[in-house]
Amino acid sequence: MKILTTVKKVVDVELNIKVNDGAIVEEGLQYVINAWDESAVEAAVQMKENHGAETTLVSVGGGDNTDVIRRCYAMGIENGIHIEDPALDKADSSIFAKVLQKVYEAGNYDLVITGKQAQDTDSGHTGILLAEYLGLPCVSNVIGIEVIDEQHISVSRAGDSGTEIVELSLPAVVTVDVSINEPRLPQMRGIMMAKKKKIEEMDLAALGTSPDEVGAGAPKSEIIEFMESEKRKGGQKFEGDAAEITAKVVQLLADEAKVL
Amino acid sequence: MAKVLVVADIKEGVLKGSTAELCSKAKAIGAEVAVAAIGSSIEPLIPDLARAGSDTQYISDDPGLEAFSAGPYASCVVEAARQFGADMIWFGFSESGKAVAPRVAAQLDAACANEITDVTLDAGRIEVVRPAFTNKVVQRVKANTDKLVAVVRAGAFEADEGVTGSENVVKLSAPAPDAKAVVKQIISDATGDIDLADADIVVSVGRGAKNQEGVDLVKALAKDLNAGFGSSRAMVDGGFMPHNKQVGQTGKIVAPSLYIAVGISGAIQHLAGMNGSKVILAVNKDPEAPIFNVADYGIVGDLFEVVPILREEIKKVRG
Repeated sequence: MKILTTVKKVVDVELNIKVNDGAIVEEGLQYVINAWDESAVEAAVQMKENHGAETTLVSVGGGDNTDVIRRCYAMGIENGIHIEDPALDKADSSIFAKVLQKVYEAGNYDLVITGKQAQDTDSGHTGILLAEYLGLPCVSNVIGIEVIDEQHISVSRAGDSGTEIVELSLPAVVTVDVSINEPRLPQMRGIMMAKKKKIEEMDLAALGTSPDEVGAGAPKSEIIEFMESEKRKGGQKFEGDAAEITAKVVQLLADEAKVL
Repeated sequence: MAKVLVVADIKEGVLKGSTAELCSKAKAIGAEVAVAAIGSSIEPLIPDLARAGSDTQYISDDPGLEAFSAGPYASCVVEAARQFGADMIWFGFSESGKAVAPRVAAQLDAACANEITDVTLDAGRIEVVRPAFTNKVVQRVKANTDKLVAVVRAGAFEADEGVTGSENVVKLSAPAPDAKAVVKQIISDATGDIDLADADIVVSVGRGAKNQEGVDLVKALAKDLNAGFGSSRAMVDGGFMPHNKQVGQTGKIVAPSLYIAVGISGAIQHLAGMNGSKVILAVNKDPEAPIFNVADYGIVGDLFEVVPILREEIKKVRG
């Protein structure tokens, strides 16, 4: 079984993010592997260990992704591809999905595992769009994967009214939630080996496509500007005798906030 | 006149409040409004669909549509959108909406936006506002296409009591089931609890509850208040709470009148799921917990001591 996982390098959202003149202030930002993609990588590595799958990861755009890809190598991923092209500067999810479609078609994969969303855009479109473009079955928000045989997997999806158990015929695309696993920390031996591994770097031409073919010049949507979000302020905080302050707060909820 | 197709949010045979919210917003921007309703035995909901504010109802009612399956559901929405000539297709905030919206966008060659909090339509130009970077900033996005598919963030729009619609039913034939993604089973977690998405009050439990005893204590408070009972990620990972009760960026996004966070420190992923609440009360024994930075009212104290008192005092004021 050949597995393709996708990895995006994203802004660390735990740190402050500032906006100036409609744009994100680059200074002070740090970049990390998207948490959902890290779970996708872990899921792929587990399938390698338990079922002998061959694992490849691809990242598209984001500049120098060497650190992120090496981290995934250290976790156990075998092959890494990084696609970088100036034409992808304004890419939206549909363009990323078109590029991934080309990667998929070049590699004859059985299963694509992506994170269900990225913590910068929080869109959750790319994996599902990829499946649509490829005409493959797809399940999103996956919290468990079991291999049935070479042609079938069973996945658990966190749905609206419970856990949905879906049997997928391969090839297929799944997008995973972070709760599917606890990604391993790379060990020293893996980190040392990862340093020696090659990363296949390519632009759109090397991938056998062009900016036009992936629609790079015509994104379906464009960000006009960023704005500060409305920040809530902390209100009244009470410390002291539990009985006294709790009674006080309940009175405020009833009389001042009028929500009881 | 612009046309908005609202995809009805139906759960266990009941039409959810988000449908009326979306229809009201669509009418407020001057659009003609239709709904697409998908499921099994949903025809009794037609009067509710009209009352929610729609003037046309595209109904896909088939036993094969009882269990959610993204492929066939998307086919129903695409068919309704084509027949109606929709400029925009809006989904309420749900896992099924998030799964179906990109498929519909791909099939209609439309732009797609998740978690929108506002939308404008001016001379055919569609713009939306939505949070980004785990709700730390917001972004204004324009569609470069004449069609947009969007999932609306929970609590973004309000239902207008004055808005109503009329019955004009179009029945759609059922699509073929997805032979390559077969739903084998749904392990329901309908436990008779109040649905988090609908609850006027939500009580959530976090790591501070420590154990099952703590969870049960906070759950009793939720029950007293007839509130939805949610959770931080820590308690889901710890096996104390089911996955579908997790409030946060990766789980449910809620915007109740009152949100009570008990023993929750307030990681940004959790805040992103509840900071649209009208009033927030936090109970935490750490006075420096980040949850107090967003809470309107804060009680610094041990939840095992505070929650029983809270229950008593609430009973007193509610009579």
